[in-house]
Amino acid sequence: MTELRLTEIPVREVYRYLGYRGITPSEEITGRIRACTGQLLGAVSPRQVHAYYDLEVGEKNMRAAGMEIESKGLLRNLKGCERVCLLAVTIGVEADRLVARAQLHDMLEAAIFQAAGAAAVEAWCDLVNSAIREEAAQQGYYCRPRFSPGYGDFPLEYQKNFSDLLRMPVSIGVSLTDSLLMIPSKSVTALIGLSRTEQPCILQGCEECSASAECAYRR
Amino acid sequence: MNRFLEKLGSEWLFCDGGTGTILQSKGLAGGELPERWNLDRPEDILDLYCGYLNAGCNIFNTNTFGANRLKYPEDLEEIVTAGVRLAQKARTLSGRGDAFIALDIGPTGKLLEPLGDLPFEKAVDIFGEVVRIGAAAGADLVLIETMNDTYEAKAALLAAKENCDLPVAVTTVYDESGKLLTGAGVEAVVAMLEGLHADAVGINCSLGPRQMLPIVKRLVETASVPVIVNPNAGLPRTENGKTVYDVGPEEFASCMAEIADLGVQVVGGCCGTTPEYIRRTIELVRNKPFRRNTPKDRTFVTSYAQAVEIGPVPVIIGERINPTGKKKFKEALRSHDIPYILQEGIRQEDQGAHILDVNVGLPEIDEVEMMQTVVTRLQEVTALPLQIDTTDPAALERALRLYNGKAMVNSVNGKQESMDTVFPLVAKYGGVVVALTLDESGIPADAQGRFAIAEKIYKEAAKYGIRPADIVVDALAMTISSDTSSALATLRTLRRVHEELGGNTILGVSNISFGLPQREIINSHFLSMAIAEGLSCAIMNPGNESMMRAYRASLALLDCDPQCMQYIEAYKDVKLVYTEASGSPAQNAGPGSGAGKTPGAAGGMGRTAPAGGAAPASLGECVERGMKEAAAEAMREGLKSRDGLSMINEELIPALDRVGKGFESGTMFLPQLLMSAEAAKAAFAVVKESMKGKPQKIKGRIILATVKGDIHDIGKNIVKVMLENYGYEVIDLGKDVPAETIVETAVRENIRLVGLSALMTTTVVNMEETIRLLRERKPDCKVAVGGAVMTQEYADAIGADFYGPDAMATVRYADTVFLVDMK
Repeated sequence: MTELRLTEIPVREVYRYLGYRGITPSEEITGRIRACTGQLLGAVSPRQVHAYYDLEVGEKNMRAAGMEIESKGLLRNLKGCERVCLLAVTIGVEADRLVARAQLHDMLEAAIFQAAGAAAVEAWCDLVNSAIREEAAQQGYYCRPRFSPGYGDFPLEYQKNFSDLLRMPVSIGVSLTDSLLMIPSKSVTALIGLSRTEQPCILQGCEECSASAECAYRR
Repeated sequence: MNRFLEKLGSEWLFCDGGTGTILQSKGLAGGELPERWNLDRPEDILDLYCGYLNAGCNIFNTNTFGANRLKYPEDLEEIVTAGVRLAQKARTLSGRGDAFIALDIGPTGKLLEPLGDLPFEKAVDIFGEVVRIGAAAGADLVLIETMNDTYEAKAALLAAKENCDLPVAVTTVYDESGKLLTGAGVEAVVAMLEGLHADAVGINCSLGPRQMLPIVKRLVETASVPVIVNPNAGLPRTENGKTVYDVGPEEFASCMAEIADLGVQVVGGCCGTTPEYIRRTIELVRNKPFRRNTPKDRTFVTSYAQAVEIGPVPVIIGERINPTGKKKFKEALRSHDIPYILQEGIRQEDQGAHILDVNVGLPEIDEVEMMQTVVTRLQEVTALPLQIDTTDPAALERALRLYNGKAMVNSVNGKQESMDTVFPLVAKYGGVVVALTLDESGIPADAQGRFAIAEKIYKEAAKYGIRPADIVVDALAMTISSDTSSALATLRTLRRVHEELGGNTILGVSNISFGLPQREIINSHFLSMAIAEGLSCAIMNPGNESMMRAYRASLALLDCDPQCMQYIEAYKDVKLVYTEASGSPAQNAGPGSGAGKTPGAAGGMGRTAPAGGAAPASLGECVERGMKEAAAEAMREGLKSRDGLSMINEELIPALDRVGKGFESGTMFLPQLLMSAEAAKAAFAVVKESMKGKPQKIKGRIILATVKGDIHDIGKNIVKVMLENYGYEVIDLGKDVPAETIVETAVRENIRLVGLSALMTTTVVNMEETIRLLRERKPDCKVAVGGAVMTQEYADAIGADFYGPDAMATVRYADTVFLVDMK
């Protein structure tokens, strides 16, 4: 895998996480967003870990790496796949510290750091995802859209399997709380199906999510 | 002397290589717990051990890296004991009675509080249990390895020291920039571990030998104890779905030979290395000249991410976290207003402090509890190292124990009783201790007397193994208004400690002018003089610009500021305006005047009133446009002719409402709402200040909490700001709050509205439990819920009275709860 670098936090995404839908904020606010994203970008330490496993997709469930998962959404996503890639990414603990610190003196700044952190980890995950797509292509595989535990009906409990399989605390410094939250909070785990044939029309992102009707952040 | 300690640091010692690598080749599946093999597949573990013993290593690890009660709640003792017993058997089988069995301890996999949810003392307890079992089974030493967080490393090391007499080595994981995952560099890690008496320190995992070279250099330059280097077999990559490393045995060994030449004492391998790697390394290294590590005599005060070196350049210790003479600060201590105290900390950081003094002593509060809270919460929001300032030994011990790093201690003095109390704590936990030059006979009037006390303190400290480098002598500044020779005594003491003992020094600078007018004139000149005499640390207010000027100018003049860069950076854009009347300079803008060095610091991006000759904006306008400082100014201006209440009701609230309505109708967005809220808050603060002592009218009292299991609280805090602006008093119980605490508070305080926040589906159950308990014990209390996963259906399902999709909605709901019966 070529060396990956997070060089930019997509500002449109920051706007979206702040609740702007298709609108550019005022100059004053964009200025503050620029300053915060710049500071955050200088403070992040993006890390990733991923590994490939054989996959069996059955009628009702799927099996890979010792996991048996029953999830309709996931089954739909993985239909026709024979391998699966598990990945975990994080931008590190500094983003959480910036939010905690900002909350002491300015909630707007805290909200911006929060949004910028979310945008940053998504961007970083996208970068890692495209690198995985290239790796898979070299092996003659096509990638499905990534799918995360806690997404739709894919139970959050599988975070534990991800953590053990990828040795997340040691490999990238991400640990789970008893309630299965990831720390640092700006971290993502996901699973990517690999198939021999291309499948162009798989729903992804908000369209797949069961909560999209009420979600304030939907695209 | 211990047989291992005799050899450690006197001759080459060789560690083994990867454990997981070997076990995987024997069939260990991904995600399978390797330590279980101690019971299930003992032959394979014997084989693992013998492989490394036959390769010639003389320190080999038990297969206990992940063995702790979190992963093995049922049979931890059997697993660890078997791991050690098998090691003893392997030693006999391979005829290597000379080899040392290292009880291998890796991270728990949990992140410690405050970042994570594992309490520090619980971590100490978890590690302590493993140490007791391993030591009883017959391990020769404890090797704490692959630690990527200083705090967890401290917990493990403390546990090892408290639960056995075995030597303890600690190796940590650095990334290529030379930092741990949680931010500490080599100096910070080494200073903390040596302070806690690690017998050896080092680096392992994550990097190959080549990438470790620059970090190993820094380790050897910093550490006084022996240095261990256990790299991976290069960097990992995936090949056909398997993890492989890019450095072979031969290349590895030749790199290790280079590393050996840097002056390290122990080498071995980590992930990806096998007995072959170790055998070749030993072949190349064993006949190289061995160098002992030398004491470094450097002084570092550290945090989880920073190391401040005392000595080369004078450092500023911020003095503002201290109730002495500060009414507001005292009030904050009494009312447990922790954010107020934390803000004093980050403000001083922005103003240029390098270390923060923490004094929270007040007769009527529980100082131990308060010290613990403030120290841990400060370490959540600032990376500056802290100076624990207390006369209460229990508070000092608690703070030193829970502190993440190597703290400064304020203070010990020449009285036997003081030394008997403070030195054992510094000896146990590590620390740099401030030594006041006074004793049973008081403060000597002359330098000779103070110097003699300094010498006495150094001598007594040595009995505890505390190095002279870890003592900072306070030459004591006494006011010249009562004795005009007192500054001379102080300055001479500084010079003598500096020149004759090579010692570090410290002063609480401002005492020098007590009782005189225009104190900062004396203070700032005294600071310059003290720095010229060799002062290492100034305890002062970094928000005082004349002191900062004296500090920066002294550094520039004494060749402590390369190319005068700091000086230029601070003053290049500053215009000093001398006013005729007072003759003293007023500054239009500059460091310390609020425009902090950190982008986004408080005030740094503050909005100003419209430029030019235009009339100042009205309060309402300032709030609506989110102009924080201008809003406060407009309120101050308005209070000259009107009373606070009418300003609030006729200007402030209507403006807030306009923004709130805009937000609700979708024409304004969260950032604008928050900006207005912050501006309103600033204006409120002015009113509050002006009505000091007078009881203030509130609409009602509301509990806010993020439920048990949830540690993200930004949403809850946004709601808090909004509610407070609308006249509610918020009892903020924080995050990860148990149902019991919420209900008890609601009952005790007779609360009519509780707001709960949850982020994850996994924690909504705790929200439901809280509501159930509230219904049972406080049926008249209403419950509003919100948070990322919450929906109206969800809220209905768990029996909440109200679902607030955003902060404004909660304000409106609170108004219906409290205002209905006011009519």
